[in-house]
Amino acid sequence: MIALLALVAVVSMLAGALTYRRVLVETSTLFDYQLRQMALSLRNQVSLAPRLELPPNQEDTDFIVQIWNPIGVVTYQSRAGLPFIARPLVGYADLTLRGQPWRVYGLRTLGGVIQIAQPIRVRRALARAAALRVMIPLLVLLPLLVLAMAWVVRSSLLPLRRVAADVKRRDVNSLAPLAAARLPEEIAPLVFELNRLLLRVDAAVSAQRAFIADAAHELRSPLTAVRLQLQLLERAPDEPARMQARRELGAAVERAIHMVEQLLTLARSEPHHTRTAMEPVALQAAAADAMADMHALALTRGVDLGLEAHSDAVVRGEREALRVLVRNLVDNAVRYTPAGGRVQVRISGGADSGAGTGVGALLEVIDSGPGIPAADRARVFDRFYRRAGAAQGGCGLGLAIVKAIAERHGAHITLADAAGGGLRVAVAFPAPAQDPLRFA
Amino acid sequence: MRVLLVEDDQMIAQGLQTALRQEGYTIDCMRDGNAAAAALRSSRFDLVLLDLGLPERDGIDVLRELRRRGDATPVLILTARDELADRVAGLDAGADDYIVKPFDLDEVSARMRSVLRRAAGRGDPCIQHRGIRLDPVTHSVERDGEPVRLSAHEYAVLEALLQRPGAVLSRAQLEDRLYGWGEQVESNAVEVYIHGLRRKLGADAIHTLRGVGYFIPA
Repeated sequence: MIALLALVAVVSMLAGALTYRRVLVETSTLFDYQLRQMALSLRNQVSLAPRLELPPNQEDTDFIVQIWNPIGVVTYQSRAGLPFIARPLVGYADLTLRGQPWRVYGLRTLGGVIQIAQPIRVRRALARAAALRVMIPLLVLLPLLVLAMAWVVRSSLLPLRRVAADVKRRDVNSLAPLAAARLPEEIAPLVFELNRLLLRVDAAVSAQRAFIADAAHELRSPLTAVRLQLQLLERAPDEPARMQARRELGAAVERAIHMVEQLLTLARSEPHHTRTAMEPVALQAAAADAMADMHALALTRGVDLGLEAHSDAVVRGEREALRVLVRNLVDNAVRYTPAGGRVQVRISGGADSGAGTGVGALLEVIDSGPGIPAADRARVFDRFYRRAGAAQGGCGLGLAIVKAIAERHGAHITLADAAGGGLRVAVAFPAPAQDPLRFA
Repeated sequence: MRVLLVEDDQMIAQGLQTALRQEGYTIDCMRDGNAAAAALRSSRFDLVLLDLGLPERDGIDVLRELRRRGDATPVLILTARDELADRVAGLDAGADDYIVKPFDLDEVSARMRSVLRRAAGRGDPCIQHRGIRLDPVTHSVERDGEPVRLSAHEYAVLEALLQRPGAVLSRAQLEDRLYGWGEQVESNAVEVYIHGLRRKLGADAIHTLRGVGYFIPA
């Protein structure tokens, strides 16, 4: 607003200055015209009467009249004692008489030359007075204009200040939308977008809060077990009891650690967590890595674990996240499959067959466990949800992590019955389309 | 004292069972709400340790059903839900006490004893009757000031009989308090314990009502 007012002030002053100068020039022209008119009117008088009748109060005028006869003799001078113009100049001229500048006009007549002269000082004084009088309305209006503009701009900006005050009242704990009623159309889009942002932030903050609350709550059980076993260790009446308590304590600590690790993994897998670089990842390699981690557990539980790769599927994604995804799926499958059962990881689709495949990669984990009834299939992805009859060691976050990672990769998860009665989890990655990282 | 522990977390259940058995309680453990409700309908317990976040049926629900039946068995809630609203809801649903996880074993024991004391209508933690003084905290027994050594089972029988002097407890009822499901009971175990108690406390400490059971005279 200051810029606007300054601009208006400068332009106004410029206009004023130009007007002033214009007026000066115009008045100068007028005064010259006046000299000539006087000369002309005197010529008419002189030609009518050889002797000049001049008004008695000549002392008041600034003008000098000099009349020359055709032979170059001054026949008349309006005032004695006034400066004497030396030559019968014709036309307009600027002379210096007795140190003062004068404007002289000479008119050639039949009877000689009539000269009228006016002091420039006087002209200037009159011109300035006229110019100033012209300027007065401008000078009066300019401040009024500035004030009016200031008022209009302020009141236009008032809604903006209101919005700013509204935004200032918002913080992490109060993310309600801003009042959007009666807003000028320049500000309405801003407020609209701000409200949408507030909504997104609110959702993200609420999600984080819920996560933290859930995590803290769920950590209670593993930690209770730790404390219990520690107290039992302290109370143990004999060595066998002590050894038993120590074993249990170790297992409880492992469980607590596992829960914390899964929580951290889940936090990192969440959609709004910062992403690591997306790169082409060979699914087979990621799966093999994950399965190598699970191999020992599978052996302990007597479960046959294997990988079937039908294609060199490559997906665009985060390498470590994909490993975590496969690891959690296999972990779930192994834990829920009874001894003697089988867990198969299968990879298909998504390979570069060269001719622009439209099929995304498909990762399946099939087990021969009890499966999940259709009614429970939606719930198993909830955090901390453990199915009744769950094997010990899980903390209910595995599928939640898998889901979060799948979402980050634009992949879709489905649960279905496996041929042998177990569970088949299918993760379908999006088709590569014009992926520049595909092998040509 | 026969305690029903309702807890779905295996590690916690195991830990509590071990600890409480060491303290001389008889523990039965249920893993979900439906099983717990069924157990409460079919058997008699001196105390219930109830977790709230149970599969199948929520602990509060089980508690409400218990109270609706008019069953005044003392209930101690052990849960991870620590919000004030949860605590108030639990107590108002009929719980006698509310402990939040992670809890301290000593505190759980003390609160159990406190709840049992109140259920028996006693103020003094120790049970004093006709010269016999039983301290549930230290599991010690004195007769006329002289300490008496009792086996765990003898102590349990004495405590059961001292809860309500004059009330008759049958052999089956005493077995009920001493043994959980899945425990083998010798057919004359109770007689053996009564005999031991009489030997240590005096023949007239415990009376027999022939064909009915045993009692400590009021």
